[in-house]
Amino acid sequence: MTKIFNPISRRRFVAGAVGTGAAVAAPAVLTGARAAGEFKMATFLALSGPASLFGPTQTACAKLAIDQINAGGGIGGRKVTVIPADGGATPAEAAKAAIRLMLRDKVDLVLGSHNSAVREAIVAALKGRVPYVYTPLYEGGECNPNVYVTADTPQQQVQPSISWLAKTLGAKTYYLIGNDYVWPHKTNEQAKKYIAAAGGKVVGEEYLPLGAPNKFEDAVTRIKAKKPDLVVITLVGGDNVNFNRTFAGFGLDKSIKRVSYLLEELTLFGIGAENSAGLYSAMSYFVNEKSEANTKFKAGFAKAFAPKPPPLSMLGADVYSGVYCAKALVEKAGGANDAGKLMAAANNLQYRTATGTAVMTNRHVVKDMYLAECKGTSFNIVESFKAVAHGQTCS
Amino acid sequence: MDPILTINILNVVYEVSTLAVVVLGLAVVFGLLGVMNLAHGEFVMIGAYCAFFIQAQNLPFLAAIPLALLVCGFLGLVVERLLVRPLYARPFDTLLATWGLSMLLREAVEAVYGRGFRSVATPLTGSVDVLGADYPSYRLLLTVVSIALVAGLVWWFVRSATGRRIRAVVNNRELAGSVGIPVTALARNTFVFGCCLAALAGVMLAPLLPVNPTLGLDFILKSFFVLVVGGLGSLVGLISGAGVIGGVESVVSAFLDRTYGYTTVLIIAILFLWLRPNGLFPRT
Amino acid sequence: MASFLGHSAALVAALALLPQLVGEFWAYTLALYFLYAIASLGIGLCWGQAGFLPLGQAMFFGLAAYLSGLSLIHFKDSWLLLLLLPAAALAPGLLAYGIGLLVFRGRTLSGPFFAMITLALTLLAFQIANSWNDVTGGFNGLKNIPGLPGLSDFTDLYYVSAVALGVCLIGIAWLRRAPAGVLWRAVSQNEQRVRFCGFAVQNVKAAVFGLSGVLAGIGGALYAPQQNLVTPQLCGFLLSADLVIWAAVGGRATLYGPAVGAVLIGILTADLRDEISYWEVILAAIFIVVVLYFRQGLMGFVEPPVERLWRRRAKRTLDGPARPAASGDTGFALDGVRVRMGSVRILEGLDLAIDRHGIYCLIGPNGAGKTSCFNAMTGELPVRSGQIRIFGHARTGTAADLLSRIGVGRKFQAPSLFPDLTVAENFNIGLWGGRARLRDLVRMRSHGWSSAILREAQSRFPFLAEEDRRAGDLSHGQRQILELVMVLIAEPRLLLLDEPSAGLSQTETQEVIEAIRWVGGRLNACTVIVEHDMTFVRELADRIFVLHQGRLLASGTVAEIQADERVRAVYVGASA
Repeated sequence: MTKIFNPISRRRFVAGAVGTGAAVAAPAVLTGARAAGEFKMATFLALSGPASLFGPTQTACAKLAIDQINAGGGIGGRKVTVIPADGGATPAEAAKAAIRLMLRDKVDLVLGSHNSAVREAIVAALKGRVPYVYTPLYEGGECNPNVYVTADTPQQQVQPSISWLAKTLGAKTYYLIGNDYVWPHKTNEQAKKYIAAAGGKVVGEEYLPLGAPNKFEDAVTRIKAKKPDLVVITLVGGDNVNFNRTFAGFGLDKSIKRVSYLLEELTLFGIGAENSAGLYSAMSYFVNEKSEANTKFKAGFAKAFAPKPPPLSMLGADVYSGVYCAKALVEKAGGANDAGKLMAAANNLQYRTATGTAVMTNRHVVKDMYLAECKGTSFNIVESFKAVAHGQTCS
Repeated sequence: MDPILTINILNVVYEVSTLAVVVLGLAVVFGLLGVMNLAHGEFVMIGAYCAFFIQAQNLPFLAAIPLALLVCGFLGLVVERLLVRPLYARPFDTLLATWGLSMLLREAVEAVYGRGFRSVATPLTGSVDVLGADYPSYRLLLTVVSIALVAGLVWWFVRSATGRRIRAVVNNRELAGSVGIPVTALARNTFVFGCCLAALAGVMLAPLLPVNPTLGLDFILKSFFVLVVGGLGSLVGLISGAGVIGGVESVVSAFLDRTYGYTTVLIIAILFLWLRPNGLFPRT
Repeated sequence: MASFLGHSAALVAALALLPQLVGEFWAYTLALYFLYAIASLGIGLCWGQAGFLPLGQAMFFGLAAYLSGLSLIHFKDSWLLLLLLPAAALAPGLLAYGIGLLVFRGRTLSGPFFAMITLALTLLAFQIANSWNDVTGGFNGLKNIPGLPGLSDFTDLYYVSAVALGVCLIGIAWLRRAPAGVLWRAVSQNEQRVRFCGFAVQNVKAAVFGLSGVLAGIGGALYAPQQNLVTPQLCGFLLSADLVIWAAVGGRATLYGPAVGAVLIGILTADLRDEISYWEVILAAIFIVVVLYFRQGLMGFVEPPVERLWRRRAKRTLDGPARPAASGDTGFALDGVRVRMGSVRILEGLDLAIDRHGIYCLIGPNGAGKTSCFNAMTGELPVRSGQIRIFGHARTGTAADLLSRIGVGRKFQAPSLFPDLTVAENFNIGLWGGRARLRDLVRMRSHGWSSAILREAQSRFPFLAEEDRRAGDLSHGQRQILELVMVLIAEPRLLLLDEPSAGLSQTETQEVIEAIRWVGGRLNACTVIVEHDMTFVRELADRIFVLHQGRLLASGTVAEIQADERVRAVYVGASA
């Protein structure tokens, strides 16, 4: 992109605004100018929409990580300030916000935890001009320049869990249900591969619109008619809560097992203890994972937000790790301006996470994965899978 | 009977009866005042948020009912005085004003509670055996209560003195006024009553819905479609309209999925609006 | 026109300099809201001019955005884009025109129904866009849409949007001042009179709706390459609602109002949404207040006074084209016509025939079916059985606008005209009806049409020469005369006048009588008058027809009727 006009000074801007309509421009004056030398990090977290129940934990974890980093001198010596944006907005709104953050607020880095539709919109808006760290689990395949993914991939989530469930529960028939967007579709694509590999059969597959007030009685009735051994759930947030409640409400939990690929403590709390029998979850973090690093992370979290800490879950812990990934990345590359240097620095990048340290390869992360069974409103880890490959080939 | 068929039938009955409760308030107000209250759905939404609020305070679920009636009744009173009464002679402006009101209420709730989905725990868990099929107890209770509510109101409307007065005003406003029926008070009470009915529906449905600020939009459209299909002004029309809209959505959703169900409802509504705007049972 | 062009030129210059003053981000933001502003202008046309409210305008915006996005993706850098992008903008216009024709067909009170149909359609469009994954990309939308060839910068895109908005504003300014605009405002005030002046109202409204579809289409077609992303929300309810709010708050009836509303409110909202949590509540309250008390919106305070400064009425310098030559017989015939409303019998086999020019009076007690006879003849009441022939052709149930074009004029009992238009504009609707071709409706010089009858009428009734007065400000008698003249200047060969002397003073009545006699002779017309005033009847009527209980009771000269026992019995019976 060529710059035709120089960035304008604040004074000239005000003069221009008075001439052209002060009401339009005034708010920009209030938010536009920021002290130089700060490291400006934009965060797209779920402030609204179906995933907004994750918002508080994400915001709190981002704050914890940034406060820790600022206490230790910031990123490359620059104090970190956060400019929040809504990752729960529609893709088009998120893209407009990304443009605003890039052009008006001139942020150094964008960090996001939101769905893939929004990610694609933000990637398209940023066009690689600003580094972008993406933290929540996703469908894989994001290799655009200057994008760094710390998320779980289907290869990490689905493969080990399906083979374990097929073997341990003896599941033969599967029913797939998810929201109608890219993550469930791609995840189920992988799932079908592993189900076939395990000798299973898919007896039904359906998708419901994302962000609509969905009802699930017909889907549950269809599942009841098909009698699968295992239901593979890729519904998000509120939909996941309502589906599982309806599922158990219709008494299906007595005979049919479920595995959800976006099920952490908050969603489980919403589903409720009476609706969680026979429900599994496969992810890289559960709050009651017992490593020393996690215990320390949880203690720090509880202390920072005492006396009433917000709930903690994987989607928050991922954001925490993502912020540390951003710090390590920028410091290793010697700044956030050069996409080439950043991408070179990302290879074999070591950074701190909630549960220890992680290593980035191909701008993705090799992880330990866990499979947990719900017991009431908490998770009981039934199996751990060490250093599972992410299966991505970004250069 | 095949338990899946039983469940599907119960689902249809549930859909139709709960929809009828929501539409009832809208229809009574429209029948009496000639006012299409486009903010009716928002009263359902506020009712649902009352249930959420009560549960967040760890109070018993039933406490939400008086709260919702109080909040929506008071709102209805204010709205009737400020927006509806001055505009009786300008029906199109009422439509616009209540549409503006619906935005106002939606945005106000959003400003307080945010755009996110809230969940309300079901006050009655577990399932009941109906002809060999497991059916959620609360859903079944809600269906029964809805049917009882609609039947009771229809009975009251036909038999009580107030019901007769309302029908008199619907037939001829001037004449009703001249024989000493207090038309203004009756209109106000009816509007408030319609709002309260919406609020009650909101409380009852809250545990089965993702409670969010845009919830009302879905209800007002479906309710409007029910009135369009059924015809404006008769109870038979209302119930048959709810049957067509709720039934079609539920049956198509059972065979295909929700998206097709919703799309079919929209197409039916458009066809009716275009070809038969007075509905199946037009007011004579 | 010169001042109008100067005005526009100043605006264009200001818009051209803007990005240099405000920088890249605001250029980008303004560019986006300019596109919404174009769509909002369409709502201004429908709601502010022609008087019907579309609640689903985003459907057209979204459709154009998808079409344009798909074209750009599949024909990147191809010359075909020169055809495909304009087609993407026009396609929603065609769709809107088609929807308009279907919905407005044969229905006068389409207001709320029309609004709700468009609302339902936009929800349907959202459903399709959200679930048709193969074509629209579903929830994720169309991604990575290439920009317009040759444009790379946010500032470039600003100029594209600004030029598009400017061109649309100039076009709309022209149409608003042209006869077409007068016709639209006439439709919003009195559809019936427009039809009886010979215009097919459903086509006029469908055309306005089609035009609003094109405007939304232009916005949408440019949105895709500007934002590089098209998602289902673009067809959705919320954008539709926003467009209506912007048009209302900005001023739906003004030229700039909808655009000012879109840019000002839109940008304020984008910026304040996060800073003032109750902003959208405030906005909704503003909308309610505007709807109830300030229908003219923000620009309503600014624009009309400015417009008044440089408004000049065209002088009536040339006679409009002549009416098509008369064909067919003189007069009409009703043959056993029956009309019922529910269980009420209105016409019970009415036989009535007139085959010579002259002045005829239709009398009878209240409820005899006099006005209903007119209503049946002009297609306002459904005829159950029997036949109506006009000028020798079968015309049972023929629409009023066609009847007017073939030479049937009708004046209503209560004056039916366009109260918010000037006297000049009222005359013009009468003059254009049946004479103006489509191209005359977009030419300014059609405002200057005149006719011999109009000149004669203005000399008989001097108040009619004060053409800048608002028709609604005239006295009742003056309005009666204005409507009569509107009917007369269409030069009908069959004149149906419903109590033309009601509410007139003695002198006025006398003048009206003379005018009717003069016009009847001059046009060689067959004039039928429903009248109660027997002085009036005695003075004018060549022949009298007496109706009773939906049938013809008697006919004859004044003397014959006065001598008729049956007629006397009916009148005595009726007054007893």
